Amino acid sequence: MKKSAIFGIVVIAVAIAVIISAYSNTSSYGSFTDAQKNNTELHVVGHLNKKKELIYDATKDANYFSFYMLDKDGKECKVVYPGTKPQDFERSEQIVLTGKMKGSEFHASKILMKCPSKYTDEKLNVTEATAQKSASL
Amino acid sequence: MDIAYKGEHLLPGNLGQFFIVLAFGSALFSFICYFFATQEKVAKSDNSWLRLGRIGYWLNTVSIIGMGTCLFYILYNHYFEYHYAWSYTSRSLPTYYIVSGFWNGQEGGFLLWMFWEAVLGNILIWRAKSWEKPVMTTLALSQAVLGTMVLGLQIGSAHVGSSPFLLLRNSGMQAPIFQNPDYLSFIKDGKGMNPSLQNYWMIIHPPTLFLGSASLVVPFAYAVAGLWKKRYKEWIQPAIPYALFSCMVLGTGVVMGSFWAYESLNFGGFWAWDPVENASIFPWLMLVGALHVMIVYKNTGHSYFTATFLVMISFVLVWYSSFLARSGVLGESSVHAFTDLGLFWQLVIGVLIFLAISVYLLVSRWKELPITKKDEETYSREFWMFVGAVFLGLSCFHLIVVTSIPVWNLMFGTKMAPPTDPVKHYNVIQASFAVVIALLSGFTQFLKYKRTDITRFFITTLIYLAFAALITALVVYATGFYKLHVVFILVMLCSVYSVVANAKILADSFKGKYKLAGSAVAHIGFGLLLVGALISSGTKKVVSENITGEQFSAEFAKDEDPKENLLLYKNEPLRLGDYMVTFTGDTVEGASHFFNIDYKRMKDGKVTESFTLRPNVIQAQGGMSSTPDTKHYLFHDLYTHITMTNLISTQPAAEEAQHGATDDDKNYDAPVAHEVAVGDTIPYRDGVIVLKKLNRSVKLQDIPITDKDIALGAQLEVITHGKTYEAEPVYMIKGNSQLDFGKKLEDAGLKLRFTKVIPDDNKIEITVYQQPESKKKFIVLKAIEFPYINLFWAGTIIMVIGFLLSIFRRNKEFKAI
Repeated sequence: MKKSAIFGIVVIAVAIAVIISAYSNTSSYGSFTDAQKNNTELHVVGHLNKKKELIYDATKDANYFSFYMLDKDGKECKVVYPGTKPQDFERSEQIVLTGKMKGSEFHASKILMKCPSKYTDEKLNVTEATAQKSASL
Repeated sequence: MDIAYKGEHLLPGNLGQFFIVLAFGSALFSFICYFFATQEKVAKSDNSWLRLGRIGYWLNTVSIIGMGTCLFYILYNHYFEYHYAWSYTSRSLPTYYIVSGFWNGQEGGFLLWMFWEAVLGNILIWRAKSWEKPVMTTLALSQAVLGTMVLGLQIGSAHVGSSPFLLLRNSGMQAPIFQNPDYLSFIKDGKGMNPSLQNYWMIIHPPTLFLGSASLVVPFAYAVAGLWKKRYKEWIQPAIPYALFSCMVLGTGVVMGSFWAYESLNFGGFWAWDPVENASIFPWLMLVGALHVMIVYKNTGHSYFTATFLVMISFVLVWYSSFLARSGVLGESSVHAFTDLGLFWQLVIGVLIFLAISVYLLVSRWKELPITKKDEETYSREFWMFVGAVFLGLSCFHLIVVTSIPVWNLMFGTKMAPPTDPVKHYNVIQASFAVVIALLSGFTQFLKYKRTDITRFFITTLIYLAFAALITALVVYATGFYKLHVVFILVMLCSVYSVVANAKILADSFKGKYKLAGSAVAHIGFGLLLVGALISSGTKKVVSENITGEQFSAEFAKDEDPKENLLLYKNEPLRLGDYMVTFTGDTVEGASHFFNIDYKRMKDGKVTESFTLRPNVIQAQGGMSSTPDTKHYLFHDLYTHITMTNLISTQPAAEEAQHGATDDDKNYDAPVAHEVAVGDTIPYRDGVIVLKKLNRSVKLQDIPITDKDIALGAQLEVITHGKTYEAEPVYMIKGNSQLDFGKKLEDAGLKLRFTKVIPDDNKIEITVYQQPESKKKFIVLKAIEFPYINLFWAGTIIMVIGFLLSIFRRNKEFKAI
């Protein structure tokens, strides 16, 4: 067999190995219910329940942050994150958590949040409100 | 309904929009002219197509400069009627950041890309000679495609491109304010720049990165020209210096980005395998691979197809990474992907155009390609260079497969999520590729083209391998690297091997084989870069571990170790690794809020070293961004950033002040009264208070004291956490009323009042108010030690020097022919 043919086979084998390892390493998006069922790490997409309190008190524990999140099915769960509260967390529109369930709490190892694009409009509305006020004066 | 708006400056925008249309039109015109110039069988004597093509390209260059000038004029003069100026700048922004505001948005990014492509095109018109016509056809086409990205035309319901000259009132925001002809007088300021971009690296990093990506079009255009004009063998030689240039600049741009991430962001390092970061190195990996096989082809005639294929794919990947970063497809997986500007399909078309050209040319010319039937010799340099190039391609392939997971989901309707621990996944797999690549970059240097003396080769290879193993063993032992996964130790061995093997080649080059210097230097740089990256990220240490505060729950503390954030009260020193750290104060400079943190290295109770770090927090766009400060040592960096503080509040300041004024005592714990005589000591939570003496001649600013009045001052000394403060609260009887004037010690978190005189016992009463822990000023910080990070930066610089040397050498060779 020619050397280039052998090398070609090696390359294809490596490529397949790469795809398999990438595929087996992918996790899945799920809900809190899924997280409760199987005890593996997964991604949960949802949004912050702004009505419930966020617990972060650096004076007690600088590495404990907890909040309540609603997943896409509307199920609520307490989330615990071992770190500081991300800046502007309250303004987040969507949250993607990576982590797993521990008892009734979801322990997140990573939080990715999206801040609103709506923000633009909000700010303009504020300007507008002041505008009307000054007009009536 | 037409409204006559007041106060708008429409001229620069209209002019800019005119230049955009002109740039697109002239690029298209230039493309068509160059295309016909290339297709002409016999060149006409007057070369009219060629001349028209050049004029088109020059006009395009002029319009791009015009566009840039208009945009800069708008930003510089703060014309917030333009969406771009309003979105990315504000009046308080310093001028040098207005420059980076220019490429803050995607439109500016495209503008920068077009600008560099225009510059490169003019260089080619000047230098490419017989290659000008076909090469410039591709460049003009690329300019035209880029031109559509900023057109901002509305055709029916679809829009083509997004213009930087869009007016705020036309930007699709539905706000009634735009019914008011005088709306501009209510828009006093822009939103300002995202605080994390307010960094000097953002002035220099994007232009470098864009020059790098834009320059990839040149080797691509040569490859296309070679296939198109059937000058299969000739295109590689002139394309090599441009490919070297692209590798150098793109590599520099990417590392500048990682330097920015290291200096200013809180990823905790220089590389986080973020999808956008990955996308920026796809083209680099492919082009470095391509470069090696181009050199193989030039020297031996082997690997023609691989060289052409890799060059072409690397440019397609520039477009693909632009698609990943700008289409919003990465939304859920990346921290810094742009949101969709409605360019999704346009970007897809961009990728497809260049992919289609590559595939069409390769397929239609397949039979004529000069592919050798003969196998390379096993012990030849060309064979192993080829293997190395393919492995670079495979490593890039892996990055593409994993980074593109959101794209696969979109294409196949699947719902895969990226790996839960992407950093570990990428580290292990990319390290495996790095083992092969680093090893090859070492021993291939000992091989010769075509045929090598085998015994001698094995002897040299093994001697240097043994030498590298020795060094690696020492390094691994000294840095504590042996605790890591075995694949990382292998990468380390191979990288060290690459460095020593290439050092030998460099030494030879001083003896006269100077031609080899460029490649030896570049490979040494690459090896050092890997060594630096490995040690630094493998043995980085969070020094702010081991929190001393109370825990929320013991169970939580058990599973979520280690803790990385440390709470620091103002003026209360705390142990942090080898240091005693104290948060001594904060200052506000413009939008930045600086925190002074004193570091003292202690040894046997003595201070051996002391310095202050000033990490800061910027507030802008309603958000906060923390910028670390770093103490640089030769062999490691100490990096500190603020993750939380109670000194900056996102709530309006007025509201807080109101709270404060109504009841000051609420900020303190319940007061405690102590009866003391002169010389007595009052203990309290954070230290002691000593009554030094009573002062009978107190002077108060606003109250005149007559002979009938009694005023007494209690001179107190407060000793807390190694610091001493003085305070003198005053007690006074004026007429029939008793008064007292307390003293606040902000820094110590105390308020002291002299509340009573007890003449019988010769004692007085001091009332102590202390702030509860949560009201005291504090910061939460994270400190990380990065060892040997300088090797990473030094490796990069050495690699760039290597590329430069190679460019000079190849350029000389090319001119010689």
